Formats: sequence, structure tokens, C-alpha cells
Amino acid sequence: MAEEKIKHSPDTGSTILRDSYYRELIKRNFLRLALTYLAPLIILIVYFHFQYREFHEHSRHTHLQAIAEYQANTLDLFLRERIVNLRNLIDDPQFQAPPSKPAMQHYLERLQKSSDTFVDVGFFDSTGIQRGYAGHLDYLEDQDYSEESWFIDLKDDKSDFIITDIYLGFRQKPHFTIGINRIIEGQYIVLRATLDPEKFYEYIISHEKTKEVKISIVNQEGYYQIVTAHEGTPSGDSSIIPPRNQKIGIDKVVLGNNKIEYAYAWLLTADWAVIVEWVEQGIPLPVFGTQFGLTAFSFAIILLLLAIIIIRTKKIVEFQIERETTKAQFEHAAKLASVGELSAGVAHEINNPLAVISTEVGLIKDMMDPELGGSYELDDIVPHLISIDEEVFRCRDITRKLMSFVRKTEIKLMPHSVNVLIDEITDAFWKQEIAVSNIEIEKNYQDNIPEIVTDANQMKQIFLNILTNAFDAITPPGKVTITTSSDHEGHISIAFSDTGKGITPQEMDQIFMPFFTTKEVGKGTGLGLSVSYSIVRSLGGKITVESILGKGSVFTVVLPVR
Amino acid sequence: MADKLRLLIVDDEVKFLDSIAKRLEMRGLDVTKATNGKDAVEIARQQKFDLALLDLKMPGMDGSQVLKILKAEHKFIEIIILTGHGSMESAVECTKLGAYGYLPKPYEFDALLDILKEAYEKRMMQKFESDQTRLQKIMEIAQGGSALGVLRSLKELDDDER
Repeated sequence: MAEEKIKHSPDTGSTILRDSYYRELIKRNFLRLALTYLAPLIILIVYFHFQYREFHEHSRHTHLQAIAEYQANTLDLFLRERIVNLRNLIDDPQFQAPPSKPAMQHYLERLQKSSDTFVDVGFFDSTGIQRGYAGHLDYLEDQDYSEESWFIDLKDDKSDFIITDIYLGFRQKPHFTIGINRIIEGQYIVLRATLDPEKFYEYIISHEKTKEVKISIVNQEGYYQIVTAHEGTPSGDSSIIPPRNQKIGIDKVVLGNNKIEYAYAWLLTADWAVIVEWVEQGIPLPVFGTQFGLTAFSFAIILLLLAIIIIRTKKIVEFQIERETTKAQFEHAAKLASVGELSAGVAHEINNPLAVISTEVGLIKDMMDPELGGSYELDDIVPHLISIDEEVFRCRDITRKLMSFVRKTEIKLMPHSVNVLIDEITDAFWKQEIAVSNIEIEKNYQDNIPEIVTDANQMKQIFLNILTNAFDAITPPGKVTITTSSDHEGHISIAFSDTGKGITPQEMDQIFMPFFTTKEVGKGTGLGLSVSYSIVRSLGGKITVESILGKGSVFTVVLPVR
Repeated sequence: MADKLRLLIVDDEVKFLDSIAKRLEMRGLDVTKATNGKDAVEIARQQKFDLALLDLKMPGMDGSQVLKILKAEHKFIEIIILTGHGSMESAVECTKLGAYGYLPKPYEFDALLDILKEAYEKRMMQKFESDQTRLQKIMEIAQGGSALGVLRSLKELDDDER
């Protein structure tokens, strides 16, 4: 009863095992395929993404810089024009210092005709007193400007003009001025015009290229000079101080949590820089490609590949399982075939005891037959009965060994000594065959050979196959030498050396091929060595063959000790 | 004693050899046992046998070799193969080598007795026929009046029996 249970349990156990094996196979194959096909694609996509980001960033920067440079050039041009306007006045041959009131008025009109950004104009003598003025702030006349920084700077500066930052000055209203100096008839004089930043701003805004950027102008200290209405106030702190060492460039400034990226371009005429920023700072750079389309496309391709991989994985696993099943069936068939050969060899082993039994029975009958004149006691019969009994058990041993070999048992991995396994074949199983064959078996065993973890039946099958071949190759008398040894690299080797007819090079090429045989029809299946080879390979070992034609062959099985 | 069938049994299976010898002796045969081929050839050189019962697979000298030697050394001996290694091929081979019969083990005892009888008859017949031709020759020589020739021929006849 207990045995019945044990017999049934491996079935359910094996389906669970098969399922988990199936899953394992799926997982392994899927990973392999995914790595092969998806990984390079993903790496490529990521690489292009970063390339694109860099390119995108670069082009954004170039775009910003171009705007800044253009605006700076425009402003420079504008300011130069204004300087030229002033120079034209002062360099007029009819210019008289100090100019009269109507002359000043006339100058203002001339200036305003050139540009409506001019607000007023003043004339200063070398002491810095405004001697003449035309404009709407008459009280500025006769004011002393000698301490004003612009007046001092203009006097010290090499160039003939100065453009101030926007400041409030005496009039308490944001404005900036352009001053020009000359020395006429030994007299140092200055002509200065005020310009309205609002008008100036309008001029800029009319040049603003797109709506996606905002443009402002800051001075060296980072204070706004000209600014759009929604962005701070003139002379307010912009927090942006562009580096002075380059005329044009890209820089970043961190304001609170915002990282502001801007392009700057310094003016040539004034110490001002044009600042260009994106209206919407911090627009995240696209994740994959510019547009949604590219991202979707990449994603679709990955999905498609994934689908293909899943289908392929299933197919491959099915194929592998089928192949393994076929292989297992093939091995079992081969085992049965070799058992067929074996049983033919073993048949006579049974025939002999049967002959003894039948003869003993006949003898006992004879003894009891009065016609043969026997007058035997029962005691005379007993030895013959014992003999019969012994022969019956001899038969049973043979069939039992045969069955143990044929049975399709689960593979049992146990530590075994190859010496013992070979002895079991040669001494227990094959003794009679060897005894009558006139083939000597010599054993050179290494005494303390390491045990290998293996399946005893599989091992015996391999050894039996090789030994059968060795016996078949020998025309008696001959000798088979079995040598076992181990090396330091964790291998054991079992060499079967025979004094047989040897193997031709042509045969050698095909020796491990299934169904290749040199034996007579019906004698060999051609499966022995191919199966042995596949078993040894599955155990991580190898079989090597050396042969000298007419002298003999050596088959060496090398196995790892695990 | 002279009428008894002289049989040599060769088999390496001692138990089998003992019991079959006993059975055949009970049936009035003169049985000699040998457990290997070499002994068998030696014994046959010492004694005369009508028939031999040979096993094929034996340690040392193989049954078919023994068969060859016996047939070569003894003109009238008939040999029957009794083996557990029965196969068509070995039966054909043995017949070619001159075996009279071939019985696979396990065998039927009656069949063995029959084949022994047939072989013995054949052996006796051949001996008889051979003797007849010899006798005829002797008669011819005698008619020619050569007493010496007759004597020589009679000696040959005696030698033949070996």
C-alpha cells in the first residue's frame, strides 16, 4: 500500500516540477531575447534622446543669443544716431558758446525732429553749471552739475561722449542722458540731452522679434535700465549680473526655486547689456524626441518588439521542451535497444541454469523409474533438489539485474565510486560472459578515487556500452584494461583500453553519431556510444577516443567531481 | 563392454556435466567427462570415442576449436553441439565444421537420446562401409597372392578406427 502511494506521488510532483521548469524556461528565454533585441534599441533611443536634448538646448541658446545680439546692435545703432545728432549740433560752425535761449530751443527742435526720444537739451560750461537749457523743466537752468558722476566721468573719459545709466537725478523722474564734450576756443564745454526711457522702450518693443522671449536691459550692477511693463521697474534690481568678460553669452541665475537661463549681449556705446529670457522659463525639455509623435513611435516599436519577443519566447520554449522530450524518448529508446542487445547476451546466461534444472529433474525422474533399475533413497535425491533450487535463484538474480537496468526509473543522484560501478558490471553482471570469452580484464584502479555524484544506472549504461564495444572489437584472446584515475582539477577519468581491431579514421568521424554501427545487421543498434556521449555531456564530462588500427582503442570518460 | 556407446561430454558447467553423465550412464552409455576443451582433446587422444557432446562457450579453448581438432584427429567420431549460446550463425558454422547435430540448451532429453542414436548409427554405418571397402581391397590383394599386402592392409584398417 505504501508503495502504491509512493508510486503515484511523483506524477503530481512531476507536473508541478514541469510547470515550474516551464516558467523558468520562459523567464530565461524571455530575458535572453529581450536583452538581445530590446536592450540595444533602448540604448539607442536613450542615446538619441540625450543627443537631441543637447542639440535642442544648443539651438535654444543660439536662438536666444541671436536675439540678444541683434537687440544690442540695434540699440547701439540707435544710441550712435543720437550721439551723432548731438555732435551735429556742437560741431555746427555757427555754434556759439554759450548759446542763447532761442538757439537752445532751436537745437531741441532739431533733436526732436531726429528722434522723439529727446526730452530736453542743456549746455554746460567747464565749471559744470548749466548755462543754457531748452525743455519743459526750466528750473534746471543754472544748476551746478560739477559733482555729478556723469560730468566727472565725461571729463576724465577719453571718448567725447557718455551715456548714463537711467537715474532720477534732480528731476526725480527716470531718465538717461547723453553728454558730449568739446573744447571750443580753449573753453571746455558740454552739450547734454535727456532721453525718455519710455519712448526708448517703445523703440525696443517694436523690434522685439517674437512673443516667446522677454527682453530687458540691465547695467553693470544688474539694475534694470529698460524693461517691459510687466517685469519690474526701471532702475529696479533684476538680480541678473551678466559676466563682463564676454560680449555675448549664455548664463544662468537662480532666483528662489527658479533657475533662469538667459542670453546677454553687451552694448558698445553704453555699459548696458541686453538680456533675453524665455517668457516661460523652465519648460521641461522633451523626454523622448521633440514631439509626442516621436515618443509614441519609439514606444510603439518597443511594444511591437515586446510582443514579438513574447511570441518567440513561447515558441522557443515549446520547441525546447519538445526537443527535450524527444531527447528523453530517444535516450529511453536507446536504453531499451541496448537492453535488447544486452538481453540477447544474457539469454544464454539463463539457458545454462535452465539446462541444469531440466537435467537434474530428468535425473530425479530416472532415479524413481523402476525400469531403469534404480533403487535410490530419498537422501540421494536431496542434493539434486538443492542444485535445482540454486539454479532457480541464479536465474532470478540475472533477471533481477536486467530489470533494474531496464526500469524507467527517475534519475537518482548519489555519490558513487566508479570502481564499484565497474565491478558491479564486470563481476556481478557479466561474470559468465567474461569467463567464457577468453578476454582478460585487467583493472588498474586508483584506490581512493573521489566519489562522483551521479546516477548509477546511467553510469553503468555508459560503461557497459563501452565494454560491449571493446569485447566486440576483440577477436579472442585479448585483453581489456580498465584504468581509473583522478587529477587535481577535480576530474576523474576512466580509460577502457582494448586489444581489438581498432577504428579507421572514417569510422572515427562518425563514431558518436546515432545509428552508426560497424557491427553486423541485428547485432548493434548504433545507439550505444551516441547515448553514452549525450549522457556524459549532460554530466559536464567528455568521452575521448584514441585508436591504432589493428592494435586497439582507448575510450576515456572524463567526469567532473561535483 | 565393447558394445557400449563411448561418449565424451565437454562442458564447463560441472553440475550439468555430472547430472547428464549420470542420466546417460543409467541408459547404458560409457560416458567420459571433461570440463574444458584442452582436457577434452587430451582425453580423446588417450581413449577412443564414438561420439562427443560439446559445449561452445568455454574458458580456454572454445567449443568450435575442439570440434575442429577432434574431427581432424579422429576419422569416425561424430560430434553434437549442446550449448546455451544458441544462434543460427553458430549452428551453421558448426555444421560446416562437421558437427552432426546442434542442440540448444535447455534441451529435451529424448531429443538428445534420438540425436545420439542417429549419430551413433551414422558412425557405425560409415565405419561399416569403410570396413567393407577395405575388406574388398584386401580380398583383391589376397587374390593377387600377396600375403604381405594383406597384412599391411589389415594394419591400416585397424589404424583407421582411431
